[in-house]
Amino acid sequence: MSNLNHLETKDINVWFGERHVLRDVSLQFQNNHVTALIGPSGCGKSTFIRTLNRMHELIPSAGLSGQVLLNGEDIYAQAVDPVNVRINIGMVFQKPNPFPTMTIRENILSGLKLSGRKIEDGDGLVETSLQRASMWNEVKDRLSEPALSLSGGQQQRLCIARSLAMDPNVLLMDEPCSALDPGSTRRIEETILELKENMTIVIVTHNMQQAQRVADSTAFFLSENGNPGEVVEFDTTENVFMRPKDDRTNEYVNGRFG
Amino acid sequence: MTDTLAQPRPKNAAPWEKLGSRVRFASWITSLVPAAIFVAAWLGLQLDFMAALLTIFLPIQLAFGAWAGFYSYGRKGVNDGLLMVVTFFFSTFVLVLLASVIWSVISEGAAALSPHFIYQNNRYITGTTGLEIGGAGHAILGSVIITGITTVITVPLAIATAVYLTETRDGARGVVRTLLQALAGLPSVVAGLFIYSMLIVSGWSSQVGVMASLSLIPLMLPTISRVAEESLRLVPSELRNGALALGAPSYKAFFMVTLPAAKSGIVTAVLLGVARIIGETAPLILTAVIANETNANPLAGGMATLPTYIYNFLYLGDATSLQRAWGAALVLLIFVGILFVGARVASATRVGSKPKRRKK
Repeated sequence: MSNLNHLETKDINVWFGERHVLRDVSLQFQNNHVTALIGPSGCGKSTFIRTLNRMHELIPSAGLSGQVLLNGEDIYAQAVDPVNVRINIGMVFQKPNPFPTMTIRENILSGLKLSGRKIEDGDGLVETSLQRASMWNEVKDRLSEPALSLSGGQQQRLCIARSLAMDPNVLLMDEPCSALDPGSTRRIEETILELKENMTIVIVTHNMQQAQRVADSTAFFLSENGNPGEVVEFDTTENVFMRPKDDRTNEYVNGRFG
Repeated sequence: MTDTLAQPRPKNAAPWEKLGSRVRFASWITSLVPAAIFVAAWLGLQLDFMAALLTIFLPIQLAFGAWAGFYSYGRKGVNDGLLMVVTFFFSTFVLVLLASVIWSVISEGAAALSPHFIYQNNRYITGTTGLEIGGAGHAILGSVIITGITTVITVPLAIATAVYLTETRDGARGVVRTLLQALAGLPSVVAGLFIYSMLIVSGWSSQVGVMASLSLIPLMLPTISRVAEESLRLVPSELRNGALALGAPSYKAFFMVTLPAAKSGIVTAVLLGVARIIGETAPLILTAVIANETNANPLAGGMATLPTYIYNFLYLGDATSLQRAWGAALVLLIFVGILFVGARVASATRVGSKPKRRKK
């Protein structure tokens, strides 16, 4: 397995219509590290994560400048097909979104079918994907049941497994646990820690404890007084939470605003 | 599983269904007394049924409803009581009307119905010919062919329109939607006249089945697209985004995720479209004439359909003619019924194996 999963952004600026919402975001997501994006609501971290696999451009008024480099190659270069970008950079959304018309098994294999790739060992892929999302034992006897028969936490892990079946270099997670109970949250966090052996993970979270539990590095986003959002501080998680350099970071991570 | 801790459900495990004795008393009084007064007044005073229903029963029932609400729940119950009476009264009213329409079609039409009514045609039949011979077979065949051709042409067009309206961001969507709404208000005879004057009077074609199909397209199209548009709009954007985030090209995301999720709505749309045109008469009289012969060729010769068959015999007006018209109406009704049930069964969303039913 190629262990090169390096993602980097250079001077990302984002607009919606004429409104400038993100300014000069340059971050390095290190190979097989987990990076947490934290910050109060409306600071642009969800917008930012959507620029990393070109989901951002699906919003009608979206605008962008800057570069996103996956292993040194700009995913916004003219010759690059966004479809291929999204195959290599998977995404898990805030709300579990299994495909309701498909079974559990079909959901896992849906990524391959949707991206037009051949399914060689379907059963094996279903098993390994579900195992990596640590839910194989729960669902191995009900693979042909509808995906919506699962509980909310299981649905979200199914969505993670669905992304894993594509064997992405990078996995983006946009508040994956915000709709889940503490038990499901813990299992997803365990999954994240196992997954980072093989891929780079970027996770948006509102939960400070979660960032400290799973992330190697943390970026603090802030948008003040209607200005576009910016990265105030980007460092190892330990430094951001224990020895923040910026006062605003200090106040935020200690729960004094946001 | 710790089955030992589970207990059988007690008989009265629905505390919300236990009504207080006051409520039960009031409901009994309210459902029985106005009906009794109404029957007494109607029979005793020899009143007209509808007049008595609206002038005697409805006001008394409303008053009792208000009283029951007040007696059971105090002032705030009055509006509840009134609303309950109004909803029950009018929904029952409409249901009874509907049932009576269906019943009159069935009871009047049954006399004309026989095996040969389904397959024989109208050749040598006059207004007074007995029911032993002759039938609507040619009209059934014509209806199937004309409706079928229209459906085959219109469904892809209509769904494509709906997809254009929901899945693209094109600037002309507003204009298309407005035109579609205008088209929905198009009187059917105008659609018939259009085809008649443009393609038939001009000599380009003659009165044949396919002309009738063409004239029905503008009637079917807006019905299907508008309902299909609504059902596509109801598919959550998370599903589309989920598919796109897995690296799907837009068309695959649409065919594999969005369309299946909207399937039952789209089937309903097609059904409503078929129901919209299957009873159309005016454009068919103009474009396919009222034929008596069996004709399976939509490109040559006139073609009968069930609506024009009904129209023809109503026009003749003799007793047996009217019976034939009723019979054809019944056939039409059965036809639509089979179609609806069939499509409902076909579109029932079933994913994978049968899901285990959770006990309530």
